[in-house]
Amino acid sequence: MVLLIRLNQNNEFVVATSNTAKQLVHLNAGKGGFVSHFTNTQMACKLMSMGILPGSRVEVIRFAPFGGGCYVKADNLLIALRKEEATSIVLR
Amino acid sequence: MKVALIGNPNAGKTSIFNQLTGLQQKVGNFPGVTVDRKSGLVELSNGQTVEIIDFPGTYSLYPTSKDERLVVQTFINPADNNYPDAIVYIADVTKLEKHLLLFSQVKDLSIPILLVLNMADLAEQEGIQYDLTKLSRKLGAKTLLVSGRSGHGMDDLRIALEDLSRATLEGTAKTDSTFYRLSQEETRFATQIQEHFPNYTPYQLVLLGHHAQWLPFLTSAQKDLIAKLVTDTDFKDFPLQVRETMQRYDFFTPLVYQAKIKGQSTASSFTDRLDNLLTNRFAGPFIFFGLMMLIFQAIFAWAKFPMDLIEVIFGDTGDWLKSHLPHHWITSLLTDGILAGLGGILVFIPQIAILFFLISILEEIGYMARAAFMFDRIMQFFGLNGRSIVALIAGGACAIPAIMSTRTISNWKERLITIMVTPFISCSARIPVYTVLIGFAIPPTTIWGIFNLQALAFMGLYVLGITAALLAALVFRLILKTNESSFLMLELPEYRTPVMRNVWLTVWEKVKTFTVEAGKTIMIISMVLWVLSSFGGTKNMQKAEAEATRIAQEQHLDIKAYENLRSSKRLAASYAGQLGQIIEPVIKPLGFDWKIGIALITSFAAREVFVGTMATIYSIGNQEDEFSISKQMAKEVDPETGKKIYSVATSVSLLLFYVFAMQCMSTMAVVARETKSWKWPLIQFIFMTGLAYLASYLAYHWLA
Repeated sequence: MVLLIRLNQNNEFVVATSNTAKQLVHLNAGKGGFVSHFTNTQMACKLMSMGILPGSRVEVIRFAPFGGGCYVKADNLLIALRKEEATSIVLR
Repeated sequence: MKVALIGNPNAGKTSIFNQLTGLQQKVGNFPGVTVDRKSGLVELSNGQTVEIIDFPGTYSLYPTSKDERLVVQTFINPADNNYPDAIVYIADVTKLEKHLLLFSQVKDLSIPILLVLNMADLAEQEGIQYDLTKLSRKLGAKTLLVSGRSGHGMDDLRIALEDLSRATLEGTAKTDSTFYRLSQEETRFATQIQEHFPNYTPYQLVLLGHHAQWLPFLTSAQKDLIAKLVTDTDFKDFPLQVRETMQRYDFFTPLVYQAKIKGQSTASSFTDRLDNLLTNRFAGPFIFFGLMMLIFQAIFAWAKFPMDLIEVIFGDTGDWLKSHLPHHWITSLLTDGILAGLGGILVFIPQIAILFFLISILEEIGYMARAAFMFDRIMQFFGLNGRSIVALIAGGACAIPAIMSTRTISNWKERLITIMVTPFISCSARIPVYTVLIGFAIPPTTIWGIFNLQALAFMGLYVLGITAALLAALVFRLILKTNESSFLMLELPEYRTPVMRNVWLTVWEKVKTFTVEAGKTIMIISMVLWVLSSFGGTKNMQKAEAEATRIAQEQHLDIKAYENLRSSKRLAASYAGQLGQIIEPVIKPLGFDWKIGIALITSFAAREVFVGTMATIYSIGNQEDEFSISKQMAKEVDPETGKKIYSVATSVSLLLFYVFAMQCMSTMAVVARETKSWKWPLIQFIFMTGLAYLASYLAYHWLA
């Protein structure tokens, strides 16, 4: 079970529990989805400042060699994320 | 008047900065931090001169690295020396909906601001067009479309800069509109803290609430006060930051759509196809190593000719001066001190220029970000950054340009570790030393039919250096503390053809910085080494000369042999020789005698000087002749034990010493320059030389 801090429609923080939501890191290469929320506030803040917001469409393009992170596309932004960083993104 | 250039990473800030300032750039320091301050003076047509400061790229005023913190601490504090009078904000027009977050934040600082949409050339290709008047009206800032790449729109930018500076000076610049509605908590906090910070805008006060604990300009009393108010007003860091960010996006995203005339931003398919290959899980690393081998080869092969040329020119000039000027210590100072030092600085320039030429092309193309992505995981394990791998590989040619190339690592701890361990990688200056010594340590036999044992040993020394670098990195990773969290979250820019103007300016800047800043230190140390090896007290030196004359007469030596013998005796009697004898007890356990001690001291000028010093000590005139040097060294016996000095044990011990020890003043000078303190090069000297001592000691005792 994962503890989640998420924003609701009124921009208020709610804590929810979930073990069903799909984390970005668990997608197969070539698959995408819409961001629901983030599980790590610090990473969330940085991702949001780069333009990955709740509601943004993100797609995993490929994984790095040597079991590294993933290469992600969000609109026309290409971004490299570590595994932990991609884990913090939960899709709808 | 100070104008700040600011924008997201990859917005093309550097191109515009280079277009505006050209060669009129200056690299200095921001006070108290290791971030370089790049600035340039621009003379406007109205005769006014403005200073443009190129700030590090950042995504928001919520920093995660030292570079980004610098931006925030400067922009929050109106009393800061670098607090800008006006801002030129650079945004990538093809990613406008992502690049306006920081704009909307700095806009709320109430500093006159100009919005410059860069990459006009790309926008045209992609068919993206905006209504600039509309954008300008809605965003409350004059908006221009330029291309830093082609120079298109730069004249308009200059004119706009003129208007901006005039309006700023007259105080008529519009700075009123703010985008952000403060939350209740923020309003409460801001109202209560305002009286203590009267010059601050409400948004600056909010930022104060978020960042107070690390801001260097606040007193601890101020920090306590802010901390108390933060608790009192229920000012919650992360939730408020998220709220603010969302509100800003909600504000400008519709504006961007309304102002857009046509076009849809899409990721370039060319980049997609290229990345299919270049970041492929299997092919990617191979291509990377192929490229790195090319760079490595280029530094070696292309730099060799100019380096030889510099050495020959300085050597010949020195010889000519020696033979035409009277025998006097001033001649010696000029030739062996100043000229040698100058040559020692200049000789690195070809390597620095070639490495940065190639690396900045790869950086301009957008490839370096991919390399960082591919190697992030492995490098992370050792406490390094994906980009560190470039420095480690370049270190195989020379640690100096390699260390200078770590500037692109934004995490300070990762950058520092890279700087600390890179000198372990065997550089080209160690090759002559290895060549001479391996001859003593390893027989030239062939094993398993194909492998030459000496060649294997040579490779082994390289492997040893790499292993030491990685293990040392691991140790530093555990020891060094940081309050900076490490992120990858790296934007991979679209592939572009490089702007050669930017490449040349980088090369120029690196060469200049090295020559001027590290050069000073190298010159000083080189003078010290000259004094050490040329003087030894009048009495000692006279005795040495008399002895040389006596031996020469006894053995009927010709003039050349006499000269060689004389310099050998003089070196032995000099302060360097005396130092060699003083440190002999310390290096005796490693199997070294005082003559090797002298070479260890003089090697500090550059490791390959070992060979030259050996040539002088054994009075061999021609320093290039490695063969006769080895022959002479092979004959050397210990006067007490009668055993050969260069036994297998001593040679292996000495080899290990040269693999591990920090023996390069130029590297130390560059480390001091890059870390902005002498603390790190000294630590580096102690642990590298300590490790060398230990390894040599163990090897000598095991083999002897």
